[in-house]
Amino acid sequence: MNAPFKATKKAPVGASHVEALRAVLPHAVIEESRQTADQITVTVKLGSLPEAVAYLYYQRGGWLSVVVGNDERALNGSFGLYYVLSMEEEDRCYFVVHAAVPEGKEEFPSVTPKVPACVWGEREVRDMYGLRPIGLPDERRLVLPDDWPEGLHPLRKDAMDYRFRPAPTGDDETYAFVNDAKEETTVVPLGPLHITSDEPGHFRLFVDGEDIIDADYRLFYVHRGMEKVAETRMGYDEVTFLADRVCGICGYAHSVAYANSVENALGIEVPLRGQAVRAVLLETERLHSHLLNLGLACHFVGFDTGFMQFFRIREKAMMLAEMLTGSRKTYAINLIGGVRRDILGEQKTRTLAALVELRDDVTRLVDMLMSTANVEGRVKGVGRLDPQVARDYSPVGPLVRGSGHRRDTRVLHAFGGYEMVDLGINVGEGCDVLARTVVRAQEVYDSIAIIEKLLTDTPRGPILTEDFTYKPHKFALGFTEAPRGEDIHWSMTGDNQKLWRWRCRASTYANWPVLRYMLRGNTVSDAPLIVASIDPCYSCTDRVTVVDVKKATQKTVPYKEMERYCRDRTASPLK
Amino acid sequence: MSRLPSDTQFAPAAGIGKIDTPVDVQRMKSSLLKDIRRSAYVYRVDCGGCNGCEIEIFAAITPLFDAERFGIKVVASPRHADILLFTGAVTRSMRMPAFRAYEAAPDPKIVVSYGACGVSGGIFHDLYCVWGGTDQIVPVDVYIPGCPPSPGATIYGFAVALGLLGQKLKEETHVEGDNERVVIAHPTVPYDLRVLIEREARRMAGYRQGGDLAETFLTALETPDGQGLDGRLDRILRSTDDPRAREILEALGGVVRIAAERARP
Repeated sequence: MNAPFKATKKAPVGASHVEALRAVLPHAVIEESRQTADQITVTVKLGSLPEAVAYLYYQRGGWLSVVVGNDERALNGSFGLYYVLSMEEEDRCYFVVHAAVPEGKEEFPSVTPKVPACVWGEREVRDMYGLRPIGLPDERRLVLPDDWPEGLHPLRKDAMDYRFRPAPTGDDETYAFVNDAKEETTVVPLGPLHITSDEPGHFRLFVDGEDIIDADYRLFYVHRGMEKVAETRMGYDEVTFLADRVCGICGYAHSVAYANSVENALGIEVPLRGQAVRAVLLETERLHSHLLNLGLACHFVGFDTGFMQFFRIREKAMMLAEMLTGSRKTYAINLIGGVRRDILGEQKTRTLAALVELRDDVTRLVDMLMSTANVEGRVKGVGRLDPQVARDYSPVGPLVRGSGHRRDTRVLHAFGGYEMVDLGINVGEGCDVLARTVVRAQEVYDSIAIIEKLLTDTPRGPILTEDFTYKPHKFALGFTEAPRGEDIHWSMTGDNQKLWRWRCRASTYANWPVLRYMLRGNTVSDAPLIVASIDPCYSCTDRVTVVDVKKATQKTVPYKEMERYCRDRTASPLK
Repeated sequence: MSRLPSDTQFAPAAGIGKIDTPVDVQRMKSSLLKDIRRSAYVYRVDCGGCNGCEIEIFAAITPLFDAERFGIKVVASPRHADILLFTGAVTRSMRMPAFRAYEAAPDPKIVVSYGACGVSGGIFHDLYCVWGGTDQIVPVDVYIPGCPPSPGATIYGFAVALGLLGQKLKEETHVEGDNERVVIAHPTVPYDLRVLIEREARRMAGYRQGGDLAETFLTALETPDGQGLDGRLDRILRSTDDPRAREILEALGGVVRIAAERARP
């Protein structure tokens, strides 16, 4: 009845990339180390950093996951830079290129001109550590707010107490928005407060009449300083609960990624049943998140019946989450070494019954959505993400899958419970909003199938191991596939049971930089729909300033009016 | 409202300019609450929440909970709002947008602070990039706690905001009496053995279910039935038909058997 699955020791992979790198850049590689069977860190000379990353990225099938900065001055007198690449063609593994920036000469050659995907990572390193990327085309602030004083870099160990709140330097927003349009354009600002849900973010659309010529955005209104508090106030074992609160929708994925990173660093083996429970909850989270996005897709094409219906059945997934974890948000389940709750017989039976209902409901609604004539008309060919742009910027999740790239962490770097299931990758070829919506709908069925499989063949045994000792100055990656794509965490343990460094990269962080290209060439009325199609944890905006390039007028349009226009497409507010 | 003690030494000396409610507005507010005979319009101000609260507010207005049946409607502009709903711990970047939203809403307005972060700053209360809760910048009328508050709690909170229900603030302090002693759980089971059983239960099934199963197991173990240890463990196993629960109880039985073996001279 139970568990034919046997865990096998993984063979080390990734050595071919090190050899290839040594062959191409003979004098660049200084040192290599291995964190787990599929994680390698190679230290290169600082001057060779751009070449090494670019070679691995374009010639060896690497995609950029995250850029990590680290203040290691107390350990080895330098700042560390870690470019994490997910090698997804042959010899799949996580390959980390490390370079040391010496104290006193705090600059490094920017990789962005060669690999555009690094742009956000390098801007963030500049904000948080004051390391200057030489040659970085975009030198604006990314993370820190406009009223933050110059020259104060929060993540430097000696910069400040984590509670230090410098007085605001001003009450104005000073962020400069970039417009690449050749001719004059009209500006449409959106946000930072939005209407339906959710998080703040400020958009500027540069339009010519109805057409979007270019777009830029200011995010990180929500920057709270989590990474700093994880390194100071909290113990390494408490950070799982902080990681839950990175995101209110896919927080569990973060918590798992964080726990995995520490488990990988300390060599802890999580019991199989614990891994299965984690995978079941990850998929439950994907269910409610995808149903939310499908609902929003309906909303933005003016199909509000569908929106309400999707939210109605989404509550079944929420009920599942509440039954399995005690909270609608799957909070506080992970510990380092396992989980805090088991799935007993009664919960299993009720979950399986609920999934049958949910599958029927979803089928009916998705059929309804796809057969509604004007839906396809609104989403087909809209918000195109060119596969080459995707290749350059390394976006993740349904967004990149909708553009024909086979990227899914659950399959390419199968971890934990996903090693126990057979899973394919849903890929769409349309590159548009339709393709992304279809990918999400298919993934709902996959999630249901995964939960059913894991609940029927759950491994026996414990859900938690307490059999490990904490070791300082070990580091490794942890990763999961959140509903919006790969979440990746890099953790390094430190003294006093506290983390030395925690870098958490949410999936949407990787998806924002391509949005600009997706908006170009579309009409203003499609903008909310396109933004929603990357499922950015929020979808609409309260107010849009439209700037017309030709007329050189500026006009502020209430968001509601924009949203109404997106739905009805009559009586343009711009006229 | 009493709040967590915060480290004022790290706050800017000049403060960040909290807004106060003038007396006449206060008077208007109480008459609004008394005489409101219409729907209440709500505008959400996200001051840097994680989205958990926002989605739960969303859930509260969609079909299953449907707050609109009480006339509570989420509107698109602060200028239409009777109630402002502030979520999030108030990040530095959101200070000015939050002020602007507050000032855009017509007086008298009711301010609701929503979620653990809004109420007190939550897990982020003392971080460098947040100001630590709604009431640091604007006057708050109603607090809806929770991380995140459930849709039910949300609707309840609206009722409090509209003066239909009172805010429940409860504080209980327990002072130990002269002869008060904590009762030992399961006194007939040796303490060391109980610890072993509870630890094994936690390893197998976590704190919640493991705790319940350990409790069942210990109660059954204590009940005298004249059957000896083996018979008693068998009876415990037969008490459930859930295979997983049986597996866990079997593991707990194993702990007892090993302990009994060791105790034998």
